[in-house]
Amino acid sequence: MQLTKQQVNYCMECGVCTGSCPISQELPDFSPRQMIKKTIDQPEGEILHSSDLWACLTCSRCSDRCPVEIDFPEFIRSYRIKAIKAENLPRLSHNGMLQSISAIQAQRSNKGTQQNRTAWAEEVGKFSDKGEYFYFVGCLPYFDVIFQYLNVPSLESAKNILKILNKIGIEPVISNNECCCGHDAYWSGDEALFQKLAEQNIEAIKASGAKKILFNCPEGYNIFKEVYTEYFGKLDFEIIHVADFLLQKLSESDTESFEFNPCSNNSVTYQDPCRLGRRSGIYEEPRKLINLVPKTSLKEMEHNRENAICCGTTAWMECSNCSKVMQVKRLKEAKQAGADTIITACPKCQIHLTCATTTFDTEIKIIDLYSYLAESMNIK
Amino acid sequence: MTEQNNLEFNSGFSPKIVTIACNWCSYSAADLAGVSRFQYPPNMKIIKVMCSGRVNPNFILKAFQKGADGVLISG
Ligand code: SF4
Ligand code: SF4
Repeated sequence: MQLTKQQVNYCMECGVCTGSCPISQELPDFSPRQMIKKTIDQPEGEILHSSDLWACLTCSRCSDRCPVEIDFPEFIRSYRIKAIKAENLPRLSHNGMLQSISAIQAQRSNKGTQQNRTAWAEEVGKFSDKGEYFYFVGCLPYFDVIFQYLNVPSLESAKNILKILNKIGIEPVISNNECCCGHDAYWSGDEALFQKLAEQNIEAIKASGAKKILFNCPEGYNIFKEVYTEYFGKLDFEIIHVADFLLQKLSESDTESFEFNPCSNNSVTYQDPCRLGRRSGIYEEPRKLINLVPKTSLKEMEHNRENAICCGTTAWMECSNCSKVMQVKRLKEAKQAGADTIITACPKCQIHLTCATTTFDTEIKIIDLYSYLAESMNIK
Repeated sequence: MTEQNNLEFNSGFSPKIVTIACNWCSYSAADLAGVSRFQYPPNMKIIKVMCSGRVNPNFILKAFQKGADGVLISG
């Protein structure tokens, strides 16, 4: 959604945004309210050169609460596009590897780079080139390699989703021509890269003939739903989140074919990803899925649902002390809630919170939602 | 130097190879080759780093992004 100047003018300086912002809590000079106020005075002023522009997580905690519905993350994004032109650039995390991977994927059509992103699936289940359902795997095959050093098994969630889908009787399309959804490029202000990636994805989906696209990554799901439709109009396929889909399928089927064993963890909690929760409004489906597992004791952290706190960084940039503080706070919250496992529905939350466990002495386990389900369904 | 000096496969494909070489060993060797007037193919581009420990995985990805067909890290 493009934010108009007039909308920004509606700001009544209540400060709810700054009061809600997890970054402002750690960096007292960071203030969304001040940023809005300064740009009303000087639309092309200081903000274009400020590093605060890149510090925002676009987590939408502020905009979710703003009484006049100013979409602050969108405000930030529109200024990031301008800041890049003014050579104000973000500090990329992981040496910029993930940005390079997206850029290489966008050159696919003219440079002939072939991806092999289905090898993992051949080992675990059945999938096809054409069909009704398309499983959009997202960046998991890349994360699985890059984050080996943290022992984050990113591909496990994809493997388990494929196994569960097969068990339901679905052989989804998984395509080597799928590419990065462009979420990070979009939120980092690189619209050209975003558009290129989006076009390639739409083409790959069209070629498969699929009409129902299943996403487990909240970012992919949200960007298709919120932004692809804005750029490309109505898409001729349905965008479905796997949590929603599985909940329907698993609750409607007779329980005998899906036997759930009691979970081996004592108590768990759920981390709401910002893109799935505040930006897509999916809060209850993952919780209901977790509760399908008998004897699950699902505890809520102090900040949950629309109040949930972000995992610390977005779009692979600006990882800082502040990110670490937020992550460690989150781990402590889980502990205080009496949970010994945090279930995540976002591959990035899983990576970031696992990273935090390595710097902070804690016994907390981080597991993704679908591996948790699969473990209890005995289809590991 | 003529095209024939390029590293060429049978198919006629002449790959662009980026070499990242450590100042203290492989770059010195390349330097010695130069001083001794050995010729090497022009489709090999050498980038000197002060230590191969300076190389991070994104150096390799960036080389591919900018059109390299192969990356050689030596040190
Ligand atoms: S919450 Fe909204 S109205 Fe209040 S200061 Fe922030 S942007 Fe302005
Ligand atoms: S989007 Fe999140 S990080 Fe950015 S200003 Fe709002 S609350 Fe703070």
